Amino acid sequence: MDRTAWVLNETELRAWLQDLIAGERTVVAPVAEDGVVVYRPLAAAGQAVLEPRGKARWSPKEFLFPRTEALYSYSFKGDAVAITDPPRPERPQVLFGVRSCDAAGLARLDEIFLSGRTDPLYAARREATTVVTAGCAAADPECFCTAVGGSPVGEEAADLQLVPLDGGWLLRVLSGKGEALVGEAAAGWSAPPAESGERVAALEREVAAQIGRNPVPQEWAKVLEGGFASPSWDRLAAHCLGCSICAYVCPSCSCFDMNHEANAWCGEQCRSWDACTFVPFTLHASGHNPRATRGGRYRQRVLHKFAFTAEGEAHFRCVGCGRCVALCPAGLDISQIVTAAAAAIQEEGADAAR
Amino acid sequence: MQPAEAVPNLYHPNLMRIAGFADETPDVRTLKLQFADAGEARAFTGWRPGQFGQFTVFGAGESVFALANKPWHPNGGAEPPTIECTFRAIGKVTNALRALSTGQTVGFRGPYGNHFPLDDWRGKHLVYIGGGIGMAALRSAMLETLDRKAEFGEVLILNGARTVADMVYKEEMPSWQAVQGVRVVRCVDPGGEGEGWDGEVGLLPNVFEKLALDPADRIVVACGPPVMLHYLFLSLGKLGYRPEQVVTTLENKMKCGIGHCGRCYVGPFSVCRDGPVVTWAELNELPKDY
Repeated sequence: MDRTAWVLNETELRAWLQDLIAGERTVVAPVAEDGVVVYRPLAAAGQAVLEPRGKARWSPKEFLFPRTEALYSYSFKGDAVAITDPPRPERPQVLFGVRSCDAAGLARLDEIFLSGRTDPLYAARREATTVVTAGCAAADPECFCTAVGGSPVGEEAADLQLVPLDGGWLLRVLSGKGEALVGEAAAGWSAPPAESGERVAALEREVAAQIGRNPVPQEWAKVLEGGFASPSWDRLAAHCLGCSICAYVCPSCSCFDMNHEANAWCGEQCRSWDACTFVPFTLHASGHNPRATRGGRYRQRVLHKFAFTAEGEAHFRCVGCGRCVALCPAGLDISQIVTAAAAAIQEEGADAAR
Repeated sequence: MQPAEAVPNLYHPNLMRIAGFADETPDVRTLKLQFADAGEARAFTGWRPGQFGQFTVFGAGESVFALANKPWHPNGGAEPPTIECTFRAIGKVTNALRALSTGQTVGFRGPYGNHFPLDDWRGKHLVYIGGGIGMAALRSAMLETLDRKAEFGEVLILNGARTVADMVYKEEMPSWQAVQGVRVVRCVDPGGEGEGWDGEVGLLPNVFEKLALDPADRIVVACGPPVMLHYLFLSLGKLGYRPEQVVTTLENKMKCGIGHCGRCYVGPFSVCRDGPVVTWAELNELPKDY
């Protein structure tokens, strides 16, 4: 019998989830809170919202990269300064029912926080995290994972993958961590149908066909970067309000601010989410701001997702979850803007060559 | 439960005592800092010229400054490390820093970033051009150059400021000039000269052009406000300097110092991690986002 894939019905899935909750790990899953689906640590398996489609309002990134956290705390009384480092992060956690796009977002965070000088707080959390993804049986209107190289059943950053099939779930082991999480629980589970691989592939094609947005070819990275000085950025960003909701809900945005929260004798060095679409993000103390215009700031957002990549990264930093599209108060759609920018840049190039 | 174990912390600063300071201008000060803890002083591995650090004022926050004195290297305890930084009191942290006095404690983490390739410049003539507080970012390399003067050709130091009152390192310029083969030129913007000013008057790029130096075998190292660098590069191009001969340091807003927080990017280039030292040729390859 295949030891790395099973089919679970709803009852078996919830029973396994309940066992996980009772164990040593914190289990984080989508939960409906006042009508909004958000990731929360579970107290009972029944709380989890495990549907074949749909996504939480926020990505689960805050369980690795919190919205705000103290990097150290200190007291300063006269000349006596005492610094206390934060405790080693939490016990092991399971991120359960994470959509493939959100899991891909975690891989993008890894590229930042685990590259060069590794961030130990992030690394400790990441090491202690097991990711159980839940593939999608249907796309939402804002979804465009397949347009940016992703898949509704993508395996990136997944230790275990659930795929909705026939009202139940196919469960596949994708890493050693995933295998450890299943452990003995698999004893009573059924083997998957012989054709499950083809069924998953068919599901992927079906969902991809529902995604209406144009694919963003990898070659556009160079086109967009070459079009840095294009006048089209100001026009395309004209409606941006600079509210930065796009960055806050983004599973791959990783920029942060560092500020001291302090009173007259003690304080904390805090790290908080920040966004390149805010005016003060790049404001120098002198008053000079390299990105003084809305177009310049929005361009940075687009280019950092689609053009500027570190060596060896052959993919976009946008994972196509579409949250920024659904929640932008000005109705900006990053996938359409990328297409429009690439077209404008290519046209300007053609004009110049004439 | 076991007591929680602390993790090694990238952001944990060393505690430093203010050993002294010098007021360069009404709003620019140079601090001398020494490690409060002897063990941390012993563990410190020094820095290369051009690198920078994050300085903490407890209760206010952190600010980035260049490490401005001659690079310190481990010397078996002969002389403890001293770190100098020159800053303008212009915001919350820098005003709080200026309010501190000798004996008080600040934080330091670093060094960060790349450095000036001084060894590659052996045998060449060097020009250091600092506009305003930009001189602070060059001072470490410049002082090391003076120390190792025999390895280099002619050295010209051009220290420019808006007004006489705004000129940094006034007190120590005579000691730079005293080194054989070194010429110091001071200049202020038109209208910035005062009674008895005996330096040059003019915009810094124009003053540099008038010096009419032969670009052959010469490296120009410049730091200053963006508008100064813009016009200086135009002048350098006109004088026949190749972009590979010109070196500057990018000074974007920085927070983390290690390429994670994302705010100092110039295109794919993270100033704190990949810079801050760049040649004009490298700068030409980057988008104009600085």
